[in-house]
Amino acid sequence: MSRLQRILAVAAALVSALTLLLGLAGGISVPLVIFGVAGLLTVARFFTPVSLWIDGAVAAFGAWALLDGLELFDVEPLWFWLALVACWLFAWLFVERLARAIRAKAMPDALGIVIPVVFGLSLLFAWEVVTRGANVPQVLLPAPSMIWERLTASVPTLTADFVQTFKAVLAGFALGCSAGFVVAILVDRSPFLKRGLLPIGNFVSALPIIGIAPIMVMWFGFDWPSKAAVVVAMTFFPMLVNTVAGLNASSSIERDLMRTYAASYWETLFKLRLPAAAPFIFNALKINSTLALIGAIVAEFFGTPIVGMGFRISTEVGKLNIDLVWAEIAVAAVAGSAFYGVIALIERAVTFWHPSIRGGRT
Amino acid sequence: MKKFVMALAAGAMALTATAAMAQDKLTLQLKWVTQAQFAGYLVAKAKGFYTEENLDVTILPGGPNVAPEQVIAGGGADIIVDWMGGAAAARDKGVPLVNIAQPFKRSGLMLICPKENNINSVADFKGKTLGVWFFGNEYPFFAWMNKEGLSTAEGGDVKVLQQSFDIQPMIQKQADCISVMTYNEYGQALDAGYGPDNLTIFNYTEMGNDLLEDGLYVMEPTLQDPARVDAYTRFVKASMKGWGYALENPDEAAQIVVDSDDTGAAELAHQRYMVGEVTKLVDPNDPALDMAAYERTIKALVDQKIISKAPEGAYTTVITDALK
Repeated sequence: MSRLQRILAVAAALVSALTLLLGLAGGISVPLVIFGVAGLLTVARFFTPVSLWIDGAVAAFGAWALLDGLELFDVEPLWFWLALVACWLFAWLFVERLARAIRAKAMPDALGIVIPVVFGLSLLFAWEVVTRGANVPQVLLPAPSMIWERLTASVPTLTADFVQTFKAVLAGFALGCSAGFVVAILVDRSPFLKRGLLPIGNFVSALPIIGIAPIMVMWFGFDWPSKAAVVVAMTFFPMLVNTVAGLNASSSIERDLMRTYAASYWETLFKLRLPAAAPFIFNALKINSTLALIGAIVAEFFGTPIVGMGFRISTEVGKLNIDLVWAEIAVAAVAGSAFYGVIALIERAVTFWHPSIRGGRT
Repeated sequence: MKKFVMALAAGAMALTATAAMAQDKLTLQLKWVTQAQFAGYLVAKAKGFYTEENLDVTILPGGPNVAPEQVIAGGGADIIVDWMGGAAAARDKGVPLVNIAQPFKRSGLMLICPKENNINSVADFKGKTLGVWFFGNEYPFFAWMNKEGLSTAEGGDVKVLQQSFDIQPMIQKQADCISVMTYNEYGQALDAGYGPDNLTIFNYTEMGNDLLEDGLYVMEPTLQDPARVDAYTRFVKASMKGWGYALENPDEAAQIVVDSDDTGAAELAHQRYMVGEVTKLVDPNDPALDMAAYERTIKALVDQKIISKAPEGAYTTVITDALK
């Protein structure tokens, strides 16, 4: 057992004991008693090996018992919060031991997915218990269960908003990245343009969205074209800079080889330099996928027809429907991750030759 | 010995005197930026009416994306200026706001359409794009559309545009009609060359579609403490005195507003126009809530499903009765 595991084990058992003691005096529920006893019994690990799955099971049972015991009191007593801390400690201990076991090859690598899942679930669970247990006003922070309820009840609204925003995201992303790519090739072709255009690209990227968005609305109208214009402004520079860096990535020995083959500029470009630049270009595409979503949502704060994720977030904040705001945030997070994931998958296919994809080290 | 006892007595009296002089601290959150819409409160602070009532008042300006209901729910203010739509919606969501006074008796909201768009009556709205503000300002519009039977959903009878807080959509011809306040954006329209001769104006108050606007709201639990209720009563009294002063001395009031604005955005000419218009909506002698207007507002909100049901205890007359 490592030092951290020892500390966690002792702390978890102690806190469980305290929960039990204070709780028995103060009206604790049966499931939480069982949790407290189980937690206390884990001190047996100092005398005989206790499987890490036991820690996981204790944590999971504690989580269920806490959710079950939320309704008992209006103002949750101290032992309730101690039980939450104990549950958290057991989850931490479980994850810590699992990580070590995977590293030491005592558990299969595939189990590694459990760790982020457990972390995410414990965060959601702690959020739920704290907001409901401490009676946090719903207008400040709603509980995840409330958000989920709102999400499932508002699917048509969320879908319509998603479609509207994504029209702007995809159009802007495509235009902005192509513009950045084309300008990078032009810059590569002409040293004059290199000195002139790169600083302007830098300037365009530094313009704050909050300033550009209303101007774009004035130029392109209220609907999605103005939002796409904002996305173009945001995605242009990362693409330009990364493509320029990528075009310089092929080494001189490879370019000399193409020269010995009497390859023209364009043949060298398409057969050597662009494939070599692919990792950099995909880097830019991945960055731009998140920037595009942010840009489209923020641009929608500034005048829009009454549909769209940014519109919904800003107006529902005004109406204090914070649970719908969080539902929109959840949809945006999932959509953004999916968009990023798609680009990452395409990258794996296109740059299959790169050591990072082959699992080696550069 | 006698001198010592006298000194002690004097000391004790001095202590009680300072205790009595200690002012009640109150924080007021405005609904929007520092402007003549809140002239009464700014004047009362500048002219010392609050200090006369033994109050130490801090006035917090609002702005875009500042929801006064969230500020008071988070403990950032004691009293807020809010429209009844927003306050009722917050009460429905669990923030226990209670109306203690309603200085604004009439609504300043209007919908204006340039005459060239050929909109002369409500019947002409079909197929047109109408600019509407959100953040709690959309309830009167949606209640009106509901009353007229015009659907505002996607592909409905009218197209609704989320309008920025200015008249750009009208100038840029992105909307056929836009929302304005008599005391603010209408002044901008007048400056841009529009007026009653080239605009069709739909005034919510004249149409009977007005919902209650700027009122004073506090959190319900604080009304249990008689000392707090007394502080609120003195606050409302001093504020109404401020409104009365602004009505009598509009130039000075405009200057006070400009001086109170830390951002420097307030211009004297525009604020003077605003003072003139806002004082038409306020009745300085009677801050009590008008029950007919209250019932109409709540009914519109319930019909629009902005609140799930008519609220209980959303207003109190304790303070306005004490001032009668």
